[in-house]
Order: sequence, then C-alpha cells, then structure tokens
Amino acid sequence: MSIMKLSMGPQHPITGHFRFILDVDGDLVLKLEPDIGYTHRGIEKLAEKRTYLQNLPLIERVNSYCDSVGTMLGYLEAIEELMGLEVPERAKYLRVIAAELNRIASHLYAACLFSVATGLETMLMWPINDRELILDLLEKLTGQRITYTYPTIGGVRFDMSEGFKEEALKRLDYLEKRTEDYYKMLLWNHTFQIRAKNVGILKPSDAIRLGIVGPNLRASGVKADVRKDEPYEVYDRFDFSIPTGKNGDSYDRLEVRFKEVEQSINILRQAIKDIPKGPIKKWAPPIVPKGEVYTRVEAARGEFGYYIVADGTMKPYRLKMSPPSFRNLIALPYLCRNVPLADVPVIYISLDLIPMDVDR
Amino acid sequence: MTSMEEKVVESIKTRFPEDIIEAKVQRKNRVSISVRSDKIYDVGLFLRDELGFNHITSVSGVDYIDTKEFEVIYNVWAIDGKVLVSLRTKIPRDNPTLKSLIKVWEGAFYHERETWEMFGIKFEGHPNLSLLLLPEDWDGPPPLRKDFLLPDTPQEKLEEKIKRAGGQ
Amino acid sequence: MLEKIGKSLMNIKLLRKIFNWGRAWSLWSVHLETGCCGPEDMARACARFDTERFGTLPFPTLRECDLIFVTGFVTKKMAKRLKLAYEQMPEPKYVIAIGHCSISGGLWWDSYSVVQGVDEILPVDVYVPGCPPRPEAWIQGIRMLQEKIAKEGLKK
Repeated sequence: MSIMKLSMGPQHPITGHFRFILDVDGDLVLKLEPDIGYTHRGIEKLAEKRTYLQNLPLIERVNSYCDSVGTMLGYLEAIEELMGLEVPERAKYLRVIAAELNRIASHLYAACLFSVATGLETMLMWPINDRELILDLLEKLTGQRITYTYPTIGGVRFDMSEGFKEEALKRLDYLEKRTEDYYKMLLWNHTFQIRAKNVGILKPSDAIRLGIVGPNLRASGVKADVRKDEPYEVYDRFDFSIPTGKNGDSYDRLEVRFKEVEQSINILRQAIKDIPKGPIKKWAPPIVPKGEVYTRVEAARGEFGYYIVADGTMKPYRLKMSPPSFRNLIALPYLCRNVPLADVPVIYISLDLIPMDVDR
Repeated sequence: MTSMEEKVVESIKTRFPEDIIEAKVQRKNRVSISVRSDKIYDVGLFLRDELGFNHITSVSGVDYIDTKEFEVIYNVWAIDGKVLVSLRTKIPRDNPTLKSLIKVWEGAFYHERETWEMFGIKFEGHPNLSLLLLPEDWDGPPPLRKDFLLPDTPQEKLEEKIKRAGGQ
Repeated sequence: MLEKIGKSLMNIKLLRKIFNWGRAWSLWSVHLETGCCGPEDMARACARFDTERFGTLPFPTLRECDLIFVTGFVTKKMAKRLKLAYEQMPEPKYVIAIGHCSISGGLWWDSYSVVQGVDEILPVDVYVPGCPPRPEAWIQGIRMLQEKIAKEGLKK
C-alpha cells in the first residue's frame, strides 16, 4: 500500500474555485489540504482606498453569488453604529425583506449543488427554477438579479413597487407548497439518504471548538443564531424559531437549510404584513467619526463579522471581514479524514462553502 | 445584579491585575480587553476555561504605522454568555512575533495564517505558516501593511490595451 | 492523402457552410468558474434560460469542449490554471469573456492580485459586459459567437 497525492480542482464540476490536495490510500482519503486563494481580490486592502459609500459594491461582491444583502447588512450596521444613525422603520423592514428573500435564494442554490454532488439531476432543475421566482421578486424590489447594492448607508435605495406585496405573498405560498415536493424528491429519497446520512458527522463540541457558524453549527445541535442572540434591524419583532439538527451529518446540514427556508417564509409574511409607512432613507454624512466597532449579522451561510477601525476621515482605516465560509473552511480537512473518496464532494457541498466568500 | 459584561471585566481585572492594560465594557454584548503581548496566552486560556469564551470569531491585525506598532485582535464569542470579547495586544512593528493561540482556540488556525500572510506577524507555535490566499509566486511585502501602496491609475492605459487587442 | 481531400472539400462553399453550421450549434463549454458570474453560468444552463437550446452544454471534461466562458475576474493564481485548461482543449476553441472584470479588470482595476482583462492571457472571441450579465446577455454572446463561426473559412 502506498500513499498517493491527488489534486482535485480548480477545473472540477464540484470544487468550484478550490483545489483540494488529497492524500489517498486506494480509495480512502487520509488527509485533505484545501488550496484556496483562486478568487482572492484583496477587498480588505481595496476598501482602505475607497470611501465608505464607494465600498458598498465592493463589499457586496464578497458574496455576490446569492447573499449580497446579508453580506452588506453587517457593514452598514457597523457604520451606522459608529455614526449613531437611526435608520427609518420602513427601511429596516425593507432590509429584512430583501435579506430573507436572499436567504431563501441562497439555500435553494445550496440544495441545487447538493443534488449535483449526489447525482440527482431533477433536483438540480427544480430549485433553480424556483430560485428564479425569488430573483424575480428581488428584481422587482431592487432592479437587479443578483448584485443589488440595495441597502445603503442610512436606509435603502428604492421603495417597494406597486403590487409587490401581493406578488410576494403569492410566490411565498407557492414556495411553501413546493418545499413539500423537495422533501419528497430529495430528503426522503432513499438513494439520497444513503449518500448523505452519517457522512461527515460534526459533534457539537467540535463544532464550537473549531468555530463553525451558521446552519452548519445549528445542524450539530447548537442553538446559535445572531438574529436571536443579538437582534439587529427588526428581527426581535418577528416570531420565528431556530431549526436545529440532531446528528450533525451532511443530511442534517441540508435539512436545517430547508427548515430555515420555511422560517424565512414565516418572517417574510410577518414583515410584509407589518411594514409601516414612512421615509426609506435618511441623509448620512460622508465622514464617519473616529472609533472601532465589531458587528455581527446572520448571513445565509452563517454569522458575518465586520471589524472597522475609523480614523475620522471618509475612508476606513482598517476593514476586517470575517465571512462565514472562511470560518467553516476548517471543518473540511477535519471531516475529510479516513473517508472514502466519493464522500468528499458530499461533505464539501454540505458545508456550503463559497470560494469567493473564503478568499475575499 | 451585575451584567455578564461587567462580570467579565471584574474577574479579568482581579485575576491579572498587572498584565491588563485596559478592560472596559464597550456597549451591550461587547467587552474590550487590552493585554501585554507576553501574557496573551494565559489570558486567552483563562477566558476560555473560566468565563466560557469558546467560539472564535475572527483574528485581525491593524497596522498603526505612525506609532510603529501592530495591533492583533482576537474576537471571541461566548455562546452561553452571549458576550463578545475583543482581546487585543500591541507588538512592535520591526519584530512582530506573538505566541499562537491555536492551542486555546483551534478555530484560529486559518485566521492566524491569514494574519501572518497579510501583515507578516509571526505566530510562534503555529504549525503551518505558508501562503494561503496570495499567488504562489508572491514576492512583495505583506499587502495589508500600510506601506504597501496600490496604484492610483489603471495598471495599463486604455489606449495601449486597445492597440494590443488590435482595434483602433 | 485523406487530409488533402478533406482540405479541398472544405473549399467547397456549401460543404463549408454545413460544417460550420454543425460546429456552431454544438458548442460545449468548460466547467471552470473564475469569478462571481459563476451562479449565472448555472442559471443560464438550467431550467429557465436553458442554453442547451442553442447547443451549449456545460461539460466536465476539457478534452471534449470547444468553448470556455471566463466568468468574471481572473486572479493571478487562477490565470495559470485557466491557461492550462485552455491549452488542453482541442482545436477549434473559442473564448467568451463574461462581465466587466474579465474584460478590463472592472471593479478591481487597482487590485494586487487580479489580472487586468483576460485578453492578456487568452484570445477572446466575444465580450459580454455586465456585472454580472443577465442570462439573456449570455445567450446573445453565444449567438454572436455562432454568427462568427458561420462565417469562418468563407471568402467574401
């Protein structure tokens, strides 16, 4: 028996922008070493050169994939905290609506990738088509398909268009019905369960020790969600629950995402019902006062942290992002030890790592 | 009844009276502790074991070029206590070394590696300090240092570009 | 001998047209994502926009592909791999640059690790601007490439 080095990616249907360097013995993976940085743009450095407002599109593209609103909210929270700016009520609700729609789109995208990894092609087409319906709604709200730059300092850029509420409620009803189909098609599918159950088990103690966040942490059974722990925007006004998993395997990680879609629908209905009338934007000065702040928000893939050092000019002195995928990355080499090679894509996809999020 | 934040500040002050430079409550859920660089490991261990700060959030560096110092900040969240502590320390810019805290918070592995790469701060005891995000053939200084400057004009002029592409 | 016959047959206008038509409508694309236009690559290939109608199908194996979409910015680390992937593809091969970043560096014009335009490393056939371009724009890019292929080898 001899140990062989195997390189997977970046040109590979599953790995996306990553490269994995695997030590394999026959079909058994002994060690996995992720090689990242294929999408590193140096956003933290570029942000020091641009003003706070110019940074918005830059920061959005950390995860422009499917979760741009969730990504931006943390940055805006940080700036608004430094400025002491109170955002108008209506803007807060609109931000929540956009963020939750984004979360649904992102989780549906994760389900697509998961079904590609397990070879279930039908389940690739269904959620991606339903994701288009959500993107249509977002387009109606923001004017773009995936890169919105919708929330801005002091509020949001556009108000709801006419008929948005009715259209949104209609589509949410449809999506709720549709999630039942997903359960039948994917989660209760015996073939899928064989592939995903008991694969890549992450115990709660390990998950906390490694600093895992988001649905991956909750799938291990830890009840931690920034929307509940430190409510930002208006999340403390909504009635929703935090779904958790039992075993912490790949199956649970996907199931938690589906349950979160249901909770997001729940939040959206309440937000659309309660949204008050009023202005959507407040004027904000271009200069941010001196100070330091660390804010956390719950993006689709987990907790997104922003650490900003402001020196009283128009540009940040230091902007540190702590994206969820970068923090979940450590779980990949941890879980891919002594597993069959065929399980590596399943474990990787179940963590829902986004390379752009990792590399920044 | 004292809040969790005040409790953290008080207990850290009584445990390490001489090594803590500053410990204060920033706002709700936020505590900032600044500590001497040679004691950061002990303080980290105390925070994890006694006060329940178990969930590493981020490790970041800040380059204060005017005072010739680097600041390293460990942001750690307590899942049960719901408090975030910013454990910070300053190290000289010409010899940036710090004891690695991955034995305390294992999740800091990639964070510390990134901080090494971006600032050149050596973490003693870190098993793998190699390039993570930058290209393999990177030979410039660590990019997030303030003396690494980005170009002010586009790297290639538009006219040259069009000429190279064969247009007019 | 056979090659010679093949070449002379290609000079016949009608045969050349049929040949080009066949090539234009079976452009298989490489599965290599370089930047943030990646999800739109999935969207255009899946249910709603379905570029398979135009014969463009994402395919895992490089050796059987004729088209490469450069989806977004190309970092210096990725550039080597992109070139390697391009060199492995069989002739004839085409490149479509998607998004501002792959055309000129876009938002990352002053970044230390992004290649300022993919035409520095690959010969580009069609440029599709946008950040990211909508799937409809991708389809238009494919159609433009097909028109280009249809004219190939024909004297005016």
